[in-house]
Amino acid sequence: MATHNNDDYHQPGLQHQFDTMEQQQDSVSIGMWMFLVQEIMFFGGLFTVYLLYRWKFPMAFAAGSNHLDAFLGGLNTLVLIVSSLTMALTVYYAQKGNRNMQVILIVLTMIFGTVFLGVKAVEYTDKYNHGYIPFADWNKKTRGAADHKNVKHDSATEHKSDGKEVEHEYKSATGVFEWKDTKLAEKAQKEGFLTEWEKIGYFSDSSSIPIAERKIDPTKFESKVRIFFWIYFIMTGLHAIHMIVGLGMMAWLLWKAWFNTYSAEYFAPVEMAGLYWHFVDIVWIFLFPLLYLLGRHFLAGGGH
Amino acid sequence: MSNSHDEHAQHEHMDIPRYIGIFLVLVVGTILTYVTSQWDLDHYFAGANTLLALIIAFAKMSCVVLFFMHVWWNSKLIWLTAVAGFCWMAIMFAFTMQDYFTRGNGVFNK
Repeated sequence: MATHNNDDYHQPGLQHQFDTMEQQQDSVSIGMWMFLVQEIMFFGGLFTVYLLYRWKFPMAFAAGSNHLDAFLGGLNTLVLIVSSLTMALTVYYAQKGNRNMQVILIVLTMIFGTVFLGVKAVEYTDKYNHGYIPFADWNKKTRGAADHKNVKHDSATEHKSDGKEVEHEYKSATGVFEWKDTKLAEKAQKEGFLTEWEKIGYFSDSSSIPIAERKIDPTKFESKVRIFFWIYFIMTGLHAIHMIVGLGMMAWLLWKAWFNTYSAEYFAPVEMAGLYWHFVDIVWIFLFPLLYLLGRHFLAGGGH
Repeated sequence: MSNSHDEHAQHEHMDIPRYIGIFLVLVVGTILTYVTSQWDLDHYFAGANTLLALIIAFAKMSCVVLFFMHVWWNSKLIWLTAVAGFCWMAIMFAFTMQDYFTRGNGVFNK
């Protein structure tokens, strides 16, 4: 950049309150990073909730997690990583002032972002059909069963020995959250690795009976799995909202790039939108293992 | 700011093969997370599966932050900001959990 510190030349992207492009660049960067740090704290609060309740009820979390489709979650992780690459390359070509490559890469980034949201919609629909939406009565309702407060068939997903999931028909008149599979809690009870909180939280019979002889209360276990699904929907939902905001930014960048706004002298908006996009990718990098994979080793026949 | 080198440095340090390289590292990390989650590492000690998954996630995050987000070539102030964000989050985790670890479970005569 030969034009730096040349008072006779006014860079086209230089705002009047800054002396030089470098000063402007540093100010913009630090502002964006301050925002991202606040975003870290925003998601951090939810990660704290996750940490706390998973520490209390690990088997309920593993049971809920094992219902999630790890293949779709992994696919979405890859989709976001590809979109991060196209975003990084968008910044690269914006710095070079290559208008056509910017437009192509922004469109690709938007396509991958949309694919991510589409896969998310498929997953949410699956949860809706199975009755795993933790909100009261937000699940799929069964017609003709209104007389029964809750026609409970086995709605839980069972896992065969080969790890394949077997789906059960969900029949509820009220659309309330349902979970009946207590196998993982029983396994922990049998093998003696229930946490202190689980010994309180999964049983309703007398605490004077030795823990190995007590009976797991399915409704109490259900309420703990429901906590997992709350966390799942709030965290992935907040992440999805960030994706939608990111897509809005991309649409705006596309508009600006179309008219060849960015060059080696002025590309800060592309770079800042890129920082945001990468941040959203990073959140998913953590959400994927923590939500989708935490109980997988039990499916593979694992123990403790 | 005295860091007039950063914009130039991005041109010099990150080219398309390097972006692709970081991308491939991220893909391998994702596949590794998926595969290792099927292994029963908790057999060795409780939480080993989660620990490995988090180590891989931190490695992936570092790749994105340092290279895709250009922090590696940014000013020290940006470094400080990025690192501080995680320090504050660690403080939130630590202080919240030390409270719950020491609080008791509300059940007496146990």
